[in-house]
Amino acid sequence: MSKEQELKQKILIVDDSEMNRAILTDMLESEYEIIEAENGVEAVEIIKERKAELSLILLDIVMPKMDGFGVLEVMNKRDWIEDVPVIMISSESGAAPVKRAYEMGISDYISRPFDSTVVHRRVVNTIMLYAKQKKLAALVMEQIDENEKQSALMIDILSHIVEFRNGESGLHVLHIRILTEQILRYLDQITDKYSFTQEEITLISTASALHDIGKISIPGEILNKPGRLTKEEFDTMKTHTTIGAEMLENLAFHQDEPLVKEAHAICRWHHERYDGKGYPDGLKGDDIPISAQVVALADVYDALTSERVYKKAIPHEEAVRMICNGECGTFNPLILKCLNDIADVLPQKLKESTPGRTNEQELQEILENKLQPKDAPASERTLQLLERERMKCSFYASMSDEIQFEYTLFPPMLTLSDWGAKRLELPELIMDPFQEGGPLYSIVDKGDIVEFLRILTDTTPEKPVVKYDCKANISGESRWVRIVCQSMWSFDDESRFTGAIGKVVDIHESRMRMDALEQMASHDAMTSLLNYDYAKKQIQDLLRERSGEEYVLMLMDVDGIKKANIQKGREFGDKILIHVADRIKEAVGANEIASRISGDEFLLLTTCDMDMDMDRAASRIAQAVEGEYEGYRISVCIGMAGTRHMGTNYNVLFHGADAALRAAKKNGPGQRENYQNLISTRAEDKL
Amino acid sequence: MNLKECYEALGGDYEDVLGRLRTEKLVQKFVLKFLNDKSYELLCKSLETGDYEEAFRASHTIKGVCQNLSFTRLYESSHQLTEALRAGWSEEAAGLAERVKADYGRTAAAISEFQKGLEG
Repeated sequence: MSKEQELKQKILIVDDSEMNRAILTDMLESEYEIIEAENGVEAVEIIKERKAELSLILLDIVMPKMDGFGVLEVMNKRDWIEDVPVIMISSESGAAPVKRAYEMGISDYISRPFDSTVVHRRVVNTIMLYAKQKKLAALVMEQIDENEKQSALMIDILSHIVEFRNGESGLHVLHIRILTEQILRYLDQITDKYSFTQEEITLISTASALHDIGKISIPGEILNKPGRLTKEEFDTMKTHTTIGAEMLENLAFHQDEPLVKEAHAICRWHHERYDGKGYPDGLKGDDIPISAQVVALADVYDALTSERVYKKAIPHEEAVRMICNGECGTFNPLILKCLNDIADVLPQKLKESTPGRTNEQELQEILENKLQPKDAPASERTLQLLERERMKCSFYASMSDEIQFEYTLFPPMLTLSDWGAKRLELPELIMDPFQEGGPLYSIVDKGDIVEFLRILTDTTPEKPVVKYDCKANISGESRWVRIVCQSMWSFDDESRFTGAIGKVVDIHESRMRMDALEQMASHDAMTSLLNYDYAKKQIQDLLRERSGEEYVLMLMDVDGIKKANIQKGREFGDKILIHVADRIKEAVGANEIASRISGDEFLLLTTCDMDMDMDRAASRIAQAVEGEYEGYRISVCIGMAGTRHMGTNYNVLFHGADAALRAAKKNGPGQRENYQNLISTRAEDKL
Repeated sequence: MNLKECYEALGGDYEDVLGRLRTEKLVQKFVLKFLNDKSYELLCKSLETGDYEEAFRASHTIKGVCQNLSFTRLYESSHQLTEALRAGWSEEAAGLAERVKADYGRTAAAISEFQKGLEG
């Protein structure tokens, strides 16, 4: 307070009667400085101008131009009534005006005629009461101010320690704070999506200074390493986000302070990216607190526009353009709009500061994280390791006759390893590889391509591996190949199919060997008919899966083979059996089975339509094999058992056919017997 | 004519005013000022022009001043006029206005007499 003010407090007397003003003035002027107004309008003008100086207003009710209630109304509307106490004076005697005046916030009421003692006492009391209140309020405000100043001071000290250790410009924190505040302020104007009070804006801007406090625990060698960080070092660097957050979590007190909460969010999440590719939590979109989103942008902008040892400051316009073009990471479009819209005023806001010392790491870290569209930044050493792995794979692939490929859905493209492309005589890159008539169709049958694609697209992220064997036309030769591949899926929540990687293995030789083994295992070596075990299995399968068809199981014995062996030698006997087998092969159809089960005995399963006699089925086979062979007359005995009468049990059918065959042979060469007839004959005999 | 005699002449309560304003000097100061007050002129003028709202305020002011100076007679008549004018112009108000004019004349005459005595 100034000396004059200290000497005399000011009282405004508002009364239309000069006489009344004079009386009051006389009562008070020895202790107070008196200001006079002769109507309400004059009073309002004086209050508006000198509100802060006034200790009290003495207000008459009935006045020209504006009466006392009019003045109180204005004072209430403009909240002046809180700042200056009012004592109402009037000769009005009813209770109503007094009550109304109290409701409008007056402190006291003096009625005429004035008693100088009463007026004096009331004026003094009111002024003292208000002064106490004002002083208390001022004290509280001062205390709050002091607290805020001290926290701001502590925050400044803390963040400067980090910056100092970081070799960073002392202005970085200041810039971040200004940028954050400007962006938030504008964001609040352009959208209802986020809204901030002035307190919240101040809070977030203040908390922004703490965004890098976690760096205090990053080893100095990494923090201040000249040149690029290795993958491991960068991983360590990344932990400054979680460490900063933990530091705040471990505070013994103040956990619930809004400032601590905001600072925690900013520390942990100011390296997250709007597209979910940031760290440490990979948060996406508005899962990232808006405060951290804004600080992240401010961080990038300041890194770009500040001068570093190895780079000049990027001009403001260029930096804004780069950020808005998405060259420095992905941001909330609304925040980008803010940056773009307030771009013109930003340099002015930051003007007071000039670029200071440099910090290579900070920019490097931000740029490595933000500039690269890929997930993780790759150091040179990582790239070298990758290249070595690729060479190794390629070498082993050529050694193992593997054709490696990668297929991507977007763009639709098949990439072949260079060795694979040479082997298949195809280009290394094939666009729209499965489009009909493309180069792949000259290598693999269309049916195989369609089937393979069906299996591939049926895979899931849990079961991504496909094995598919097919024939491929390689260098004009049809060879068996096996395609082994793994389908690839996007890493986001949806897990979309994105393509496949795999190899094509030439399995022709082994496939041929397998085929031969299978042939040997299932076939009679002499006649190339199926052997008994394999035939039995096939017959059982066929009978189980039959759908409405009737079958006849036949056992067939070639007559007089022992005699031929003795007369013309064993080799001739074998020739006859091979001849018979060839004729059988010609006679049986696709759904029929023929095998040699031992010596001169053959087992056949032939179809037998409803209207066809079983004997006719046997005759068809017999006619095919019987006849002259090198002067030797071949005849056969056949025993039959049909599914129509005996069902589909293999053993039942086999024993029936066996019994029928023995009965047929009793009747001499070239005989045929049906088990069903055998039973009826026996029944007739018994009768 | 001293101040007390003046009060007797204009129909006021000297003891009362001295009790509130404390000193004879102060009472005298305001009594002498009474003649400079423009409220009476304003009342007469507004009654002539029929501006009864203005007449009400002027009458109210006269009443307040008289109250403060304990000019009981004029206070009574101006008080009644004020209340009458609060409701607008009326027969009663016209009668009360005449009474206020008479009381004011008597009061002003008494003060002038007192003032002459001081100068003389």
